Amino acid sequence: MVNPIKPDRSVVTTCAYCGVGCGFKAETHQGRVVRMIPWKESKANHGHSCIKGRFAFDYYQHPDRVRTPLIREDINQPWREVGWEEALGFAAKRFRSIQQRHGARSIGAISSSRCTNEEIFLVQKLARAVFGNNNIDNCARICHSPTQFGLSATVGWGAASQNFDSIMQADVIMVVGANPTEGHPVFGSQLKRRVRQGAKLIVIDPRRTETVRSAHVEAAVHLGLRPGTNVAVLNSISHVIVREKLFNEAFIRERCEWHEFEHWCDLVGSDRYAPEVIGPEAGLNPADIRRAARIYASGPKSAIYYGLGVTEHSQGSTGVMCLGNLSLACGMLGREGVGVNPLRGQGNVQGGSCLGSWPHVFSGYRFVTDDDVRHSFENDWGVTLDPEPGLRLPNMFDAALTGHFRGMYIMGEDPVQSDPNQSHIIEAMRAMECVVIQDLFLNETARYAHVFLPGSSSLEKDGTFTSAERRVNRVRKVVEPIAGLQDWEIVVKLMNAMGYACNYDHAGQILDEIARLSPAYRGISFELIDRIGSVQWPCDESAPEGTEVLHRERFPRANGRGTFMLTEYVATRERTSDTYPLLLTTGRILSQYNVGTQTRRTANSQWHAEDVLEISADDAHTRGIRNGDRVWLSSRYGATELTVQISERVRAGLVYTTFHHAETRVNVVTSDLSDWATNCPEYKVTAVEVSLHKPAIAQIKREEEATA
Amino acid sequence: MDYGTPLKTSGEMVSITINGQALEVAAGNSIMAAALMHGIDIPKLCATDNLDAYGSCRVCLVEVDGMRGYPASCTTLVSAGMVIRTESEALIRLRKGMLQLYLSDFPAGDIPDGWSEFHRTLQQVGVTDHPYSVSKTHLDAPVDESNPYFLFDPAKCIVCNRCVRACEEIQGTFALTIDGRGFDSKVVAGQDQGFFESNCVSCGACVQTCPTQALVEKSLFPEGYQRG
Repeated sequence: MVNPIKPDRSVVTTCAYCGVGCGFKAETHQGRVVRMIPWKESKANHGHSCIKGRFAFDYYQHPDRVRTPLIREDINQPWREVGWEEALGFAAKRFRSIQQRHGARSIGAISSSRCTNEEIFLVQKLARAVFGNNNIDNCARICHSPTQFGLSATVGWGAASQNFDSIMQADVIMVVGANPTEGHPVFGSQLKRRVRQGAKLIVIDPRRTETVRSAHVEAAVHLGLRPGTNVAVLNSISHVIVREKLFNEAFIRERCEWHEFEHWCDLVGSDRYAPEVIGPEAGLNPADIRRAARIYASGPKSAIYYGLGVTEHSQGSTGVMCLGNLSLACGMLGREGVGVNPLRGQGNVQGGSCLGSWPHVFSGYRFVTDDDVRHSFENDWGVTLDPEPGLRLPNMFDAALTGHFRGMYIMGEDPVQSDPNQSHIIEAMRAMECVVIQDLFLNETARYAHVFLPGSSSLEKDGTFTSAERRVNRVRKVVEPIAGLQDWEIVVKLMNAMGYACNYDHAGQILDEIARLSPAYRGISFELIDRIGSVQWPCDESAPEGTEVLHRERFPRANGRGTFMLTEYVATRERTSDTYPLLLTTGRILSQYNVGTQTRRTANSQWHAEDVLEISADDAHTRGIRNGDRVWLSSRYGATELTVQISERVRAGLVYTTFHHAETRVNVVTSDLSDWATNCPEYKVTAVEVSLHKPAIAQIKREEEATA
Repeated sequence: MDYGTPLKTSGEMVSITINGQALEVAAGNSIMAAALMHGIDIPKLCATDNLDAYGSCRVCLVEVDGMRGYPASCTTLVSAGMVIRTESEALIRLRKGMLQLYLSDFPAGDIPDGWSEFHRTLQQVGVTDHPYSVSKTHLDAPVDESNPYFLFDPAKCIVCNRCVRACEEIQGTFALTIDGRGFDSKVVAGQDQGFFESNCVSCGACVQTCPTQALVEKSLFPEGYQRG
């Protein structure tokens, strides 16, 4: 055969990777997916794609996929293959037994931003209606929880104010702690296109990333700040805007409370935030801070895009508030080309955030303590719900070690690999009586599980994802689930096995339930999405086909106005010392995706077979390290071994690595500090040392024993 | 639907005549896009509506009253009062001649049963073979299979530049270029390093836009690639 095989079927669906939410036509030949073609009509990607969504789909039929449910009495035994009924019955019995002995609140559930909206909603329903508690959290805890908190506090909703296409009207683009050309490549291409058309680019990032400079694109200002100084630098930018009177008085008077603005001016306008003071602290030239402030304020249309470089800090929530304040002060909200936009790492971080996968709120960020809201769910679900907020993810692990928490249902997450302070989590996992994992592969966490429920990939199920631009995109079943059931069907069966009767004919009925119980999703249904392609929430009677740009007339807060939050800079407790003189920060690379569960099972690994440690030539030289050497990376928390790459992207004092490979165990090294408001871990700042020889630390030994 | 050039839907409307039919279209559109908006599908190869018009393949030629020769409908914008013919004996002869030239340097075994954009244009114009005896071709040029996901077969490349333009305009990586001139001109990645070693980021924009499947997904060749 010389000509290529011609696909015989094509199904429009949504990419399983990052928060851009690209539309693809999944083309099959004789029942197998043979290629993913970017969908031209998609409003997210307009027919463009990246290496992950376009090519890295073969993991779905990888031999490692688990095809049968597995159970075992305890984690030292080998797995036993069983049928669905037996596995679900086993899990249900253990969960109920724990609850009988230790109380209703002794078990909990975790969902993932890789799940569909329908699955995320069902898992929180499992915790609330079936477990009878609010012990429900999701992995956005460790990435964008500060976004929800920080943006809600300032502009009212923890979500992007714009659609992606809005950037094509921006005159100034400010990227903070994000590297879209690697992490959100299709949006990165759009950003570069706009810069080539003449928009000015400001990048705030410790590394000289590809976003800072690439072919025909160069940032007007790159603030290569010292990790951990975001809040100081953003306050300093605000300082310039206040002192030089670059703010938008008309906007503030009309859309905010003037006295709150004045209060904020007193803080950021004080001498301690002058660029001449903050510059040396953050490792920046004060003139660059001033220049960035003037460019941002002068717009006329300035848009902020930010990532985990803002949120994963001990002042992550404060950093997000700084961005909210800045856009309010300059009137950069409520129209095309402006806004504050979180770039979400996983396909459904936004959905995970807004559909109640949190211990304290129902869908739409409405508190579980609110009687009216709770009653609306009780009426729909036919059960009485716990009015007390539940445990956050890190608190679940803490409680496991004190014996108060003994069972966990985990869907699509690998906390042992992705969460901070790995040894602590492993200890907690070992202490639990029943860990149920629903996933595609036996991941690191599955080592400590009692029940494994083989899930379905996004090519094998129906549902929706909500992308970083609040766009609800349809996920359509392309091929049959490899283990027989779609993920939402497994959750329903577990609910039934635990004695809660509920039934859905198809995933669209779950979305109908979401719409019934969540104001922002009120008008959203499979029918609407099938008709118009996709829809951005809020979607209701006043916006029957969704909303592209938020905050046009009012902010979704009680008084309808934006608020200036006070954002005093408090330096992280994580400091360099003589023993740990370098700062480690972490990030992603184009060809791999998060902990690599999917991408490492594709040819993408040919580009990035291992995580490497980027180090400046200066720091390498003084340590006798050469390019390609194996080195030890050690911190106060642990140590791991990596290959070194001397790089101009990092300057002296800074080292950088990615976290895609389990073998690297970067999270052994990262600190256990976290955001003051949301517990989002401080992955972006760890004091470390790099050496050719294995450091003698008792901690390392303990680590090795724990994982042996 | 591919209009061939980026659509302009707003702005001043102008009156034109295509094949005797009086039409109103927004100024700034190409003749090609204007025609297709009204159901007239002019054959094309190097034009696609997510890239700027380029005018290299010479297949989309039309006749315009008052203009000399046969302007390319992709690079010629509509203007008020324009009278255009998209079909005539001369145009059919020119298009066939052009496509026959392309076929004279295309693997013969891959002409029947193909389903690329190029094959559709061949069918549209009614060309299945060529009259030339050829001594010099690209049929022995090596296939670049270095990228794990897609391959590049220079023998099927018509040097329309769409891949190079997609890499620049859509992806913004500028990894591809045309090296050499005339018969020697060829698509190269990076410093002629092959796709895998080059600065190509495998976004797939070039594969997506290639009209001849010279750039094509390896997954469509379960038995491995073989040139026809």
